[in-house]
Amino acid sequence: MVSPVLIIAIGLGTAFALGLLGSTRKTLLFGVTLAALAAMATISLIWLVALATGATETAEIHTAGVAPPFAINLRVGIAEAALLATVTLTGLLAALSLRAQLLTLGRGGMAVLLVLVMAISGLVMTRDLFNIFVFIELVAIATAGLVLLSEDTRAVCAGFKFLVVSQIIAILLLVGIIFTYHANGSLNIDDIGATPVAAQGAALAMFLLLIALVIELKPFPANGWALDIYTSAHPGFSAIFSAATGSAALFVVDKVVAPAGAEWLPLLTGIGLLSFVGSNVVALRQDNDRRLLGYSSVGQLGLVLAVIGQRDVLGDAYLYVAGGLVLSHAVAKAGLFWMSAILRGRKLQDWAAIRARAPMVLAFATFIAMLVGLPPFPGFYAKWDLAQALVAAGRLPVLGLILLGVLIEAAYLFRWFGFAIKREAPESGLSANMVDCGITFAAVAGGWALGWIWGAIPGQHNVLATLPVLAVVAFIALEPLPAKLKNVLAIAALLGWFALVYGDYDPMRLIFAVVMIPGGAVILLASFSETGRRIGFYPSAMAMYAGLALLLEANTFFEFFAAWEVMTLGSYFLILRGRMSEPHALSYMLFSLGGAFALLAGFALASGGVQPFALDQLGTVTAELAPWVFVLLAIGFMTKTAAMGLHIWLPGAHAEAETDVSPMVSGILLKAGLFGLFVMLMQLGRQSLWGVDLTVVLAWIGAISAFLGAVLSIFQEDAKRLLAYSSISQMGYALFGVALMNHLGWLLAMMFVINHYVYKSMLFLAVGGVYKRTHTKLMYQMGGLITLMPFTFVSVLVGIIAMSGVPPLSGFGGRWIFYNAIMDADLRLPLILIFMAGPIGFLYLFRLIHTIFLGQLKDPHRQLKEAPFWLVLPQMIFAAFLIAFAVLPGMALQRVDGYIGSIFGDQPLIWQGRAITSEFGYWNPVAIMVVIAVVFVAVFLILIAKNHDAQKVKQFNIVFSAERPYRPETTHFAWNFFAPYRKAMGILETPVVTSFWGGVTDGVNGAAEFTRRFYTGNGQTYAAHVLLFVVAVYLIAMGGVA
Amino acid sequence: MIRKVVIGLMVALLGVAFWTLTSGYVPDAELNRTAAYYAANAESEVGAPNIVTGIIVTWRGLDTLGEVTVLFLTSAIIALVLSQSKTPKGASGAGLLPSGELLVTGARMLAPLIALFGAYVIMNGHLTPGGGFQGGAILASGVLLSLLAEPSRRFGHTVIARIESFSGTFYVLVGLAGMAYAGGFLDNGILPLGRFGTMLSAGAIPLISILIGLKVGAEFSSILESLHETEDA
Amino acid sequence: MAQIALATGFVLILAGLYGALTNRDILRMIVAFTIADTGVNVVLVAVGYMPGRTAPILDAAVPVAVASQRIIDPVPQALVLTAIVIGLGITALMLAYAYRLFRLRHSLDISNFTELKW
Repeated sequence: MVSPVLIIAIGLGTAFALGLLGSTRKTLLFGVTLAALAAMATISLIWLVALATGATETAEIHTAGVAPPFAINLRVGIAEAALLATVTLTGLLAALSLRAQLLTLGRGGMAVLLVLVMAISGLVMTRDLFNIFVFIELVAIATAGLVLLSEDTRAVCAGFKFLVVSQIIAILLLVGIIFTYHANGSLNIDDIGATPVAAQGAALAMFLLLIALVIELKPFPANGWALDIYTSAHPGFSAIFSAATGSAALFVVDKVVAPAGAEWLPLLTGIGLLSFVGSNVVALRQDNDRRLLGYSSVGQLGLVLAVIGQRDVLGDAYLYVAGGLVLSHAVAKAGLFWMSAILRGRKLQDWAAIRARAPMVLAFATFIAMLVGLPPFPGFYAKWDLAQALVAAGRLPVLGLILLGVLIEAAYLFRWFGFAIKREAPESGLSANMVDCGITFAAVAGGWALGWIWGAIPGQHNVLATLPVLAVVAFIALEPLPAKLKNVLAIAALLGWFALVYGDYDPMRLIFAVVMIPGGAVILLASFSETGRRIGFYPSAMAMYAGLALLLEANTFFEFFAAWEVMTLGSYFLILRGRMSEPHALSYMLFSLGGAFALLAGFALASGGVQPFALDQLGTVTAELAPWVFVLLAIGFMTKTAAMGLHIWLPGAHAEAETDVSPMVSGILLKAGLFGLFVMLMQLGRQSLWGVDLTVVLAWIGAISAFLGAVLSIFQEDAKRLLAYSSISQMGYALFGVALMNHLGWLLAMMFVINHYVYKSMLFLAVGGVYKRTHTKLMYQMGGLITLMPFTFVSVLVGIIAMSGVPPLSGFGGRWIFYNAIMDADLRLPLILIFMAGPIGFLYLFRLIHTIFLGQLKDPHRQLKEAPFWLVLPQMIFAAFLIAFAVLPGMALQRVDGYIGSIFGDQPLIWQGRAITSEFGYWNPVAIMVVIAVVFVAVFLILIAKNHDAQKVKQFNIVFSAERPYRPETTHFAWNFFAPYRKAMGILETPVVTSFWGGVTDGVNGAAEFTRRFYTGNGQTYAAHVLLFVVAVYLIAMGGVA
Repeated sequence: MIRKVVIGLMVALLGVAFWTLTSGYVPDAELNRTAAYYAANAESEVGAPNIVTGIIVTWRGLDTLGEVTVLFLTSAIIALVLSQSKTPKGASGAGLLPSGELLVTGARMLAPLIALFGAYVIMNGHLTPGGGFQGGAILASGVLLSLLAEPSRRFGHTVIARIESFSGTFYVLVGLAGMAYAGGFLDNGILPLGRFGTMLSAGAIPLISILIGLKVGAEFSSILESLHETEDA
Repeated sequence: MAQIALATGFVLILAGLYGALTNRDILRMIVAFTIADTGVNVVLVAVGYMPGRTAPILDAAVPVAVASQRIIDPVPQALVLTAIVIGLGITALMLAYAYRLFRLRHSLDISNFTELKW
């Protein structure tokens, strides 16, 4: 094995030797520089592989042939090797990114870059305090030099501000080092740790040392100098500044805090959390991409600093967690900076230029997912383990703040991604070239590789190694194929997976599986109506289906959570595809992540840090924790089912999605929340908190959602929004059923799982078909389409009959079970709400069919054709299923009924031939069907007989009969259709929830706007901030000691 | 005004921390374990009577290599910073009055003496106070004198750059030789320790001192050159 | 005695910091920082000082056998040398920067260089 000292020797030797090659042969000089960096990277990688595979032990390298503490020594363990690899590879790729500048400036610039990479590597390896100081200064000076490579003249100001702060750091550091030496008689970190002293002033010296190192991490708010560098420096260099320097500085803090002792950890935690949350809040108001990345960088450094503060409770997981976060940050941030070199504009909106290039979008998505800590990237595993350890140690506030910070970070990162996908792309906003794209994709490849490695570590569940996720990766690779072919493959994949797994499921899981997997395949039939390649659709859709498939497969908390996140990510990308869906997709993502974090905390609380923890052990949680676990998990799942209060993301997300996406996210995805609720209630059962039965609370929320969802639905003008609000109402029913905690309640919920999937998918497809033809979703702009789109009409008719719960279709069966269920329960008050929701539901459904299909045909619509075949086909399948299900409900429900009976130990329904009998009555679907058919046919015949009495009304017959309209739509009878009801019930429409969440958003944004005024741009003020920070932390630390 | 008060207050608070350090400071009565080791082993391990030089060049040689690199970086960056504002060749100093005969002659006479003194300080670094840095700085002061005395004179950038590169590279190679032929990187034991207290002793320390001296002298000269060439502003 | 040297060093550091943070002129800031650097160096050597001892050079007066009773701590002396050189490097760099900043705006007032903010 080659000695790691060679990393330093090669870097330094080459930097010196460049002068011998003469200054004119710049290409040769650049080639030598690259070769040196490549050699340094190779040595690091050799060590990394050798240490990771156990082929070698941690290397202790003595310089001067003398053992420490008398001479400086270096160490390369697994953490050092990983960091060295990161640093040297970042340096190599950054040299490529900076090639134009380096070639212009010649050997000076190249030597500075080499020394910088060498010095950061030295910082990682050295075990000597003063040597740390020397390397820090080298890094600082090299930084000040490379900042100047920028074309932005403002970089000169930034470099000077940086130097001013470096001076202050150097002063504090030196005073700290010399007094630590005085107290300990040694400069060697390990030696200081091994010989404890009680000398006076040792603590203060350690404080000065640590605070100086912490300021190197650019803690909020003493970091204006660093942000200016991020904003103005060349992105190739900013990548080093963020990824390499930042990671190394973190590692130095980690090294020094080990001998300093555990009493310093709370201080680091506090500074780290302040920095993480504070920087992310301020980043919300940034519109410059690089400055935003700067805020994100300092935030991430704060996060890892907070993790370093948890090393006492993380134990063996410490390296895994901290390493996962550091490497995710390094790769993603470096990648984003390199990517920003390809973009010409500096506004966030200018990133829309990447939209036309699918690989760039993939890269952007990869980096953002890495930063937020979504699967399959290391940050995800790290976040999970961190949460487990924090909860086990009782550090819930720390976990809460970390999750809050991640959520805020997700807010601006996904908003940015939304800009990139949806905003208008600037003209020639890209200056793409092979090299810049190459290094960006090197970072992408690095990110996926890290994801694989973090999953493959023993004791972990490798998300990437599961079949469904591999399928997603395969679909990314298949993107160049035409959409129709990919659609065939997607359907085959779903059906194939179902064939593989359906034998293993209990009846209840099977129902969910049928709805989610083959159900998804049926909806995918509609996707045959799309042409072209439809880039981005299939990986996203398959990610959502992969998440759903894995959710059903999950045995442990971790598997469940990983599946949940994969599903969320996939569905976010799907929803974002809608034409106007940018803000709605963002709010969907944020609510989903918030909900997921509630799940994360709930799971961690339940398992108490024991990993892996099986889902069916959830019932073994201790009695005092169980209610809290219940609350957290219920919040998480209800975010997905869009219970009232957590629902505001749903209408926009479902209504603005593409035609075939709306049924997926509405008909299928909402069921994931129900599945979670089932799993939870099956294990935890009834729980009470402060004497309140939590299932009753759930039942109330369900009832309110059912009622208010319906009320809101009747006032919608947009047909898809109407359906979306209706979903809130329907999920309210299901939630109510689940929360009843009795046999029939659960059967009702299962009935809703099937029914809601079928009729909501059908209606969304029907309305989507109408939209495709009329190009509007506003109902008052339609009318009389019955003759032009008869098949669509039939499916809407069948759909609303089924949904409204009138005989003869399956909705009635739902109602019937429902009435039996509530007679079993003793929740009278919410029951009234639920009853009232029924007729209100009828109002909006009536409006749907009446306004779209009846009445006068609009002039622009006279030439319309029926919806495309591929949209109509699944609708017809659904209609046929609804009728069959209405006649033979037993085909799906009987087994589930038996299964639920085995849980509750009763059997209230008796299935006899075609009839079902309960305590309160009996239901014979076939007889009902016959009766209805007879009545319907009779009335129909009478109508035909009296048809000649009807009188045609001209379209404008009624319009101008009264006053002059002030807006065209007010002339239409269908506009504000239920105005009288609005007068009566309008109060229920007050957007209380929307105002609440709007207030939260405005508050955070206001805080961000206020805080960022703090960064005045004056270098002296920044230096004063640093000093103020030191003094403030000093006072707090001394207060803590006293 | 408020600003000054606030900053004064912060500096005062920092002063409180420093005061705590000062008032609690007790000088060591005995050398601590690190220093005692150096005192006891200076002869046997590095063979240099000047213990400080022994520490600088050998025991903490990595620091010194870093220190040389700091100068190298500084001179490279200053050249970069100022290269954009360089005056056209030959124009610099042209507007100045010619230096007097007395000044030029005096400077030309002094410069070799300064160089000789620098060489002496470098060569005796391991025996008496002094060493590569001090000597290198003296060498550069000779260059400074010549620059001040004859502003229009140009030094060979190439020569300085060659010295700079050569001494630096060779220093790293000597360090590597320590790995190959002695105990580790920068071990001075690659050459025999010789007789304690003589000029040619202490292993590679005199050699490294020379390299440091050349390097430091070259870096300072190069910085002075860069500053000199931008005197137009 | 040692306290006096230490206190002098600290006063220099504080004075330097105060000067660097209150003077808007960039050159004055740099000078103030060199004062603070000098203070740091004084503190460094003061910590190594031991009353009644001599320089850490072994010669006829200080034979190896009794060296550890006669000499002061050599380590801070070695450190201060490195610190001085590094301080010098940074000061030189700041001066070069000051030159560039002046060329940019023909001003040396640091409050004029605030385009990067918020």
